[in-house]
Amino acid sequence: MRKYLFLIFIVSALLLVGCSSSSDEGKSGTDSNTITAWAWDPKFNIAALELAEEAYSGDEEVALKIIENAQDDIISKLNTGLASGTMKGMPNIVLIEDYRAQSFLQSYPDVFYELSDYLNKDDFADYKIAPTSLDGKMYGLPFDTGVTGLYIRTDLLEEAGYTVEDFVNITWDEYIELGKDVREKTGKPMLTVDPSDLGTIRMMVQSAGKWYLEEDGLTPALEDNEALEEAFRVYKTLIEEKVAGIHTDWSQLLSGFNNGDVVSIVQGSWITPSVKAEESQAGKWAVVPIPRLNISGGVNASNLGGSSFYVLNAEGKEKAAEFLANTFGSNDDFYQKLVTEVGAVGTYMPAAKGEAYQTEEEFFDGQKIYRDFAEWMGKIPPVNYGVHTYAMEDILIVEMQNYLNGKDLKTVLSNAQKQAESQ
Amino acid sequence: MKKYVERIKQNSLFLKMFIVMVVSIVGVSAAITFASVQMSERLFINTFSITNTKMINQISTNFERYSDAGITVINQAQRSEVVKEYLTDRSTDNLTIINHYYQIKQWMDSYYDFFLNYDGVNIVVMGENGRLFSSNYINWPVSESLLRTHPITLNAYKNPNRIFYQYASEMSEKLTYVEPTVVISKALVERTSNHIYGIIYISIREKDFRQMYAEYTDDNRDIYLLDQMGQVVSSNQSSSSGVKSEQFLKRIKEIEAEELAYNQVRFDGRNYLLFLQYLPALDMYLMNLIDRDELKKELVDTKVISLISTGIVILAVGIVFFIYRRFTNSLSGLVREISHMSKSHFNAYVTESGSYEVRQLARTFNGMLDELHEYVEQLLEIQKKKRVAELEALQHQINPHFLYNTLASVKFLVQQKDVEKSSEMINALIVLLQNTIGTISETNTIRQEVEDLKNYVFINQMRYGDNIQVRYLVQPESLMCELPKLLIQPFVENAFFHGFNYKKEGQIQLLIYIKDEQLICEVVDNGDGMKVDSSVLSAPKNEARQFLSGIGIQNVRERIHLLYGKEYGVQVSSVVGEGTKIRICLPVIKSKESTRK
Repeated sequence: MRKYLFLIFIVSALLLVGCSSSSDEGKSGTDSNTITAWAWDPKFNIAALELAEEAYSGDEEVALKIIENAQDDIISKLNTGLASGTMKGMPNIVLIEDYRAQSFLQSYPDVFYELSDYLNKDDFADYKIAPTSLDGKMYGLPFDTGVTGLYIRTDLLEEAGYTVEDFVNITWDEYIELGKDVREKTGKPMLTVDPSDLGTIRMMVQSAGKWYLEEDGLTPALEDNEALEEAFRVYKTLIEEKVAGIHTDWSQLLSGFNNGDVVSIVQGSWITPSVKAEESQAGKWAVVPIPRLNISGGVNASNLGGSSFYVLNAEGKEKAAEFLANTFGSNDDFYQKLVTEVGAVGTYMPAAKGEAYQTEEEFFDGQKIYRDFAEWMGKIPPVNYGVHTYAMEDILIVEMQNYLNGKDLKTVLSNAQKQAESQ
Repeated sequence: MKKYVERIKQNSLFLKMFIVMVVSIVGVSAAITFASVQMSERLFINTFSITNTKMINQISTNFERYSDAGITVINQAQRSEVVKEYLTDRSTDNLTIINHYYQIKQWMDSYYDFFLNYDGVNIVVMGENGRLFSSNYINWPVSESLLRTHPITLNAYKNPNRIFYQYASEMSEKLTYVEPTVVISKALVERTSNHIYGIIYISIREKDFRQMYAEYTDDNRDIYLLDQMGQVVSSNQSSSSGVKSEQFLKRIKEIEAEELAYNQVRFDGRNYLLFLQYLPALDMYLMNLIDRDELKKELVDTKVISLISTGIVILAVGIVFFIYRRFTNSLSGLVREISHMSKSHFNAYVTESGSYEVRQLARTFNGMLDELHEYVEQLLEIQKKKRVAELEALQHQINPHFLYNTLASVKFLVQQKDVEKSSEMINALIVLLQNTIGTISETNTIRQEVEDLKNYVFINQMRYGDNIQVRYLVQPESLMCELPKLLIQPFVENAFFHGFNYKKEGQIQLLIYIKDEQLICEVVDNGDGMKVDSSVLSAPKNEARQFLSGIGIQNVRERIHLLYGKEYGVQVSSVVGEGTKIRICLPVIKSKESTRK
């Protein structure tokens, strides 16, 4: 009997032990093939990333995980994340606007992974190199261009008795003169500007090879900046002469030209899909180089916006860098698809020879707009955006208001300079 | 089949006990399991509802904080001349527009700080002049044309003094896509004339709105924010957002009427716990739906519990099986042995095995058996003694008739004056009486017995004449053997009085010898003979007077059996007309006197 009891005791003990250890542990750990990327526009840069994943032909398998965040969120998340010094929760690849790139590169020197070995910097538009590099090393892979164009309604010009040729390679003053006449004849302003966004000023200044800062990217150059003075003057004239209308948000900008309320648009090439969205206006648009500032060094080409990819110096950086090099860094065919499927013009120069760039856009009356954009892209004067673009702009918005309300140009810029220096 | 029935019958005790025990064990463990699961669940739900209420309060506080910010901004906008100016001014002068725009932007930027802690907020004002201002366009990219006819706007116009919290579903226009949004809206009214000059909207993307309670939700805990119409304004179940749910609304009204802390409801075939809180700040219901089944799963691992109880039940049943089997096996073995007892004449003892009780039972039973045997033996002994005493008593009696007849014969001889013969006869009688009643000894040697017989025969011959001759052939070795007193006499007597009813003369032979370790005494006559049957040994009663003693031949066999056992006895063989032969077998017992010699 004792033997049985002992046996039963052992069996029951085993049974209980077996029961308690039945919970299994969850699987953990991330797939080392996964690359995370942060971008903000599902129709543009996210679509481009998705296309890149398809086009990727590297040796190693890569699963790209794209996380959509608003641009402001990306900036704040990067700032908080990188400032804390931890790479936890950070992506492998992040898209950063060129205007902001230097501030990140300089504030967090070791955080970004150098891409010089993966890319040939001569393959990219010249103006893109400065914002994406630090101390001569390339950290960013230049992505889209913000090459600007003057989109213009040929039918409205005709109505006013002009042709597109009249607007090719002109100065802003000539544009204003022509615009005044067109507005009188059609009743429509030439363009709209957003008073809270000095994109127009930015574009004008860069077209003259200048910026808000000196070439060192640090010293404010607002006072005695000929290009800036000229841009301010042109901007004020545009408004005073009612050549320009006002828009206060993106939808107003879009509805302005989609509804046919404006004759032209001066924006980066990324506005093209929005223009094409109004199909009833097909064949009525043309794109020509933007007007230039009437000063020495002024050219009919500039840039507005544009962004580049950066690889964070964390686990998986080699894979992420190879992925970018294999797609955005070297793949001609991929850039053709980028143009035809996403409508994005990259800054990878060899791609301009491809077929897609020779496409005659019916919406633009058969104009080879991508070839033209690629051509103008090469003429964009390179400038060092430095680290304070938007800080400078916040000052300038206020001073612009003062200038529009009648203050002296020299005085407002001098004030701006003082504020910038005291910051 | 019969065999099985038999087996079941034999094991019925075991089966009954086992079944009762199994049923009780299973019943008890099932009842305990059920009760403890129920109890712990109730306890858990009660504590859970307390923490859940706190959680809901926390969420309400979050909503209220947001709502407060919204109301502050709305009130400020209502008072702001800048806002009013922007929304009512109809001038087309660029500079004026820019200045107004600049001012409202300054104003908005300062109030947008109220929402710094929230992602996805946009403050929009839309005026009667068709102007629209978005402080953070990306978060709610609406255009004036979209907003002008939107139900949110229409509601605000209808009830200009009310602040609305509404759900704006997704919209799209050309290339812009507007995500689902939760919007606080209010008409901006001129105090004096009650004229509505614009609307202010504070929007937050639904997915950002969710962050105010997202941390309190998981797979099993869903939160729904419903407006008075039953429309889901926000939910962590993104597919539910914007859906109008009649069943939710119905439930809410019921629960509100009953004022319960929580309620158990059934939606889509699942059981839920529903916690409800009315949020006066938003005029909405906060509904917390908890999957009760999943909660229970988290609380009680039914599989483990049932495994444990099954294991315990199996163990207990196994132990019970072994113990009962052992117990009842020995018991039924005992029962079987006892029931077969009569076949073995109560001589076989039962085996003492099994549990203590059964062993004790068997031991007692065996003890009883022992005592029974003892008593029976004693009884038999007493019976035997009694019988022997009876026979002895009989043997010590001399039939008075015999004495009377003999004495009558002596008297007759005396009268004839045959002194010699009469004294001879009296001598024979004296010796005979001396040997039969004079000695206490129960046994006689052959020598004495033969002497007695000779005296008896002499007396008979004196009385009835000597037509019947008696011859004695006694082996000398047998002379000193012992035999019960008067054993042979009745047969001689029988031969005298019954053997010669038809033949008037004859011979009686008495042969005594030892053969094969047995003492053989034969009484052979050549008289009438008879048919051999049981009546031979029973004496006719009417002739009692002729007998010497009380011992009849009918007692002889019984006497021999009693004294020496069944292997000894009396054999009778007779042929009618030729005579009778009586053969008595006895053990050879040498007289002590002879051994002494």
